[in-house]
Amino acid sequence: MRFIKMMAKRREISSIIFLFVLYAIAGLVNSSFLKSENIMLTLNGATVYTICAIGMAFVIFTGEIDASIGGILGLSAAVSASMIRDGYPWTTAILTAVCIGLIIGSVNGFGVAVLKIPSIIMTIGINSIVRGLSYVYTGGAWVENVPSEFKQISQKGIAGLSWMYIATIVVMIAIQIFLTKTRQGRYFHAVGDNADGAVNIGLPVTATKFVSYLISAVCASLASVVFVSRIGFVTPTSGNGYEMIAIAACVIGGISLSGGVGNVIGATFGALIMSSISRILVFLGFSSNYDNTITGILLITIVVADAMVNKRKLESARRERLKARTSIVTENLAKGGEML
Amino acid sequence: METMSTVKSLDSNSAILSVCGIYKSFGQNQVLKGIDLDVGPGEILALIGGNGAGKSTLMKIIMRIYQQDSGEIYIGGKKLTGSRPIEALNQGVYLVPQEPMLFPNMTVEENILIGFNENPKELRKRLLNLLKQLSWELDLNRLAITLSIAEQQLVEILRGLLRNAKLLILDEPTSALTFDEVESLFTIINDLKSKNICIIYITHRLSEVFEIATHVAIMRDGIITLRGQVKDFTREMLVQGLLPPDTRKKELEFKSAAPDYENLKPVFSLKDYSGYGFSNITFDVYPGEILGLAGVVGAGRTELATTIFGRDRVLGGKAYLDGEDITGLPTSEIIKKGINYVPEDRLRHGIFRIGNVAANMTSGCLSRLGKFLMDFKSEKRITAQYIKDFYIKVTDQEQLISSLSGGNQQKVVVASKLATKPKLIILDEPTRGIDAAARGEIYAIINRLKEEGVAVLLISSDMEEIIELSDRAITMFQGRINHIFQKEDINQNNLMSAAFDVYQDEKKGE
Repeated sequence: MRFIKMMAKRREISSIIFLFVLYAIAGLVNSSFLKSENIMLTLNGATVYTICAIGMAFVIFTGEIDASIGGILGLSAAVSASMIRDGYPWTTAILTAVCIGLIIGSVNGFGVAVLKIPSIIMTIGINSIVRGLSYVYTGGAWVENVPSEFKQISQKGIAGLSWMYIATIVVMIAIQIFLTKTRQGRYFHAVGDNADGAVNIGLPVTATKFVSYLISAVCASLASVVFVSRIGFVTPTSGNGYEMIAIAACVIGGISLSGGVGNVIGATFGALIMSSISRILVFLGFSSNYDNTITGILLITIVVADAMVNKRKLESARRERLKARTSIVTENLAKGGEML
Repeated sequence: METMSTVKSLDSNSAILSVCGIYKSFGQNQVLKGIDLDVGPGEILALIGGNGAGKSTLMKIIMRIYQQDSGEIYIGGKKLTGSRPIEALNQGVYLVPQEPMLFPNMTVEENILIGFNENPKELRKRLLNLLKQLSWELDLNRLAITLSIAEQQLVEILRGLLRNAKLLILDEPTSALTFDEVESLFTIINDLKSKNICIIYITHRLSEVFEIATHVAIMRDGIITLRGQVKDFTREMLVQGLLPPDTRKKELEFKSAAPDYENLKPVFSLKDYSGYGFSNITFDVYPGEILGLAGVVGAGRTELATTIFGRDRVLGGKAYLDGEDITGLPTSEIIKKGINYVPEDRLRHGIFRIGNVAANMTSGCLSRLGKFLMDFKSEKRITAQYIKDFYIKVTDQEQLISSLSGGNQQKVVVASKLATKPKLIILDEPTRGIDAAARGEIYAIINRLKEEGVAVLLISSDMEEIIELSDRAITMFQGRINHIFQKEDINQNNLMSAAFDVYQDEKKGE
């Protein structure tokens, strides 16, 4: 019972357990899966998802959703890859990608936080606009021939673990400290937990939501740089469906879609699970065609389970309150029953 | 220093809050028509007024959640500007809303400490000192979701006190509290008064005015009609102040014949009916009878009603309507059979908030309005009929229901339930949060139902309401019926003692 209570409190732990179970099963079927070499490959392969999921987490904390990061990732990847290919300094290309993220993120933020457009509508719309822009920018062609020096960055690392993934984890830990230990960090959860309540005690609700969209979009842009380095080419459909993966990663990692609950550690493990699944399928001898279906099933299962647990929690809280009330009555009776 | 007994004069120099000539309209609807109000230190101002009088709007303007069209607000002599709640918070104003607005997934401590700019360690020390000073027992590590409403209100008050609030606004703080919780809240308020904090206390309960307030102000139709020290007023004077000048007193006099129990068969019966929150309930309701159901909050009355209505599982026993077994039928069937339910929580379960009056009115009887295409002529006719019969104040049928006052919303809800032509209607707290005038009109509606032969099950925590209307009354205590009273035995004393299960029947000892 205490274990279950702790699990409910530290929701990311269940995702960690899930990850280990997943790896154990894969290892039982095919022991080569558990070789450190393969595990490092899996971790490195999770970099893009992890960055996206961390950004997405901010938006979900505030109780909103960002369905546009696939498009943002695609456009930023196309632009930065072509700039690197055309010989611009790498930093210029990366900064351009970040600027793209900032611009699209502020459009999202303006629509959702300021104009109060439902976030799912706003960001799906923006996603198709941005996706369309990548087609316009690339003329529908692939961006290829990214210089191999740039591709090599993602290969460098220590003990098989790439610097990019290590950097992501370091930043993630910094973000976790920011979210839990600083004043502004708590705002994201507070806004998602009870937006009206946040207004009443003077928290900047609009600004917090706006910033969460900026963070989400910039994360997608940074992820696009990693994407270009790792993959080496960009197609017009690159990043398609990444929003679903990032959302699923957050949810699997214990972040509640109703807002206010969860942390980025969970999102990181969620992203790792998402990227491991396709590798595990391969090791188990399935076709990777099952990827999307399994992702979807996982997402729905967890959201439904989460909703049911929440409902039960509310219901038991209600019963507890009723019980408290009747016990008050009993107490008064014991006192002699002199009411009014 | 001033003592508790001296009450400051009302000159605006010493006032903590000073409101001058506030006007506010929402669209065509003028809500505040020139409000002037001063509140001094250590003053507890009870602000009473009907729904739609503009109390909440005024408070939200003081909190800067809304902006006034014209007029000025001064806190401690400083003019309040800006358009964000933070400005009011910085000036030492804190609003404890009617429904506490905590962050359910944060701990009590996080809930209290969030939103401050000072050093967290010192802040925490201040909180612990404050708690010790107040000698409140509150586990700071509990999640807010597990707190009772009273505890949530304590957290809200702590938030205000920690901000060194000079002015604390309590919006109907007792409406969700049990008797004991109210007592402890009053102790706290008196404590705050002695610390010279000024409090605006919004309430619908006149008895509380005399119990807790030093001053009283009555708002009606966007103006303050009465203002002064509580000791200068009587209950009757306050009631008069609440009523519009032309109100007749007639609506409080209902003398209708009791149903003919000898020759009537009950329309609705429960036999050993049990469910979540109640057990072994047995009673009959006759056509043309108003059966009052009294009890304290949490006695299981609402749970009983919603279970009859098919919203929760029946654990045992039978329910009969006109002799037919309707136990455990789903809600849609129950409505078809002829039972309808006016819920306790109007906003959440009663109205379709973004619908207009006509759509709300016919929401329960859509199947009668045409097989496939809607018969809008009938809808108009039904709506017009009820608007006329129930004196519902609307500009037209297309007016949004959310823009009506609480009393008028409730009338629309009752009308929509009646449009299904029920044999039994269950009214759960039909006049909660409704002003005196509208209450009289709702009573008239209930009495008309009775005359038309509808059986009425009236659930109410307002004992006077039960006494006023019921032909018979039953009381519930901890999920069971403990007494049934005939008309002549229904009085405040009997009901109250039975509700707390201390009733002693003299006739029993024969």
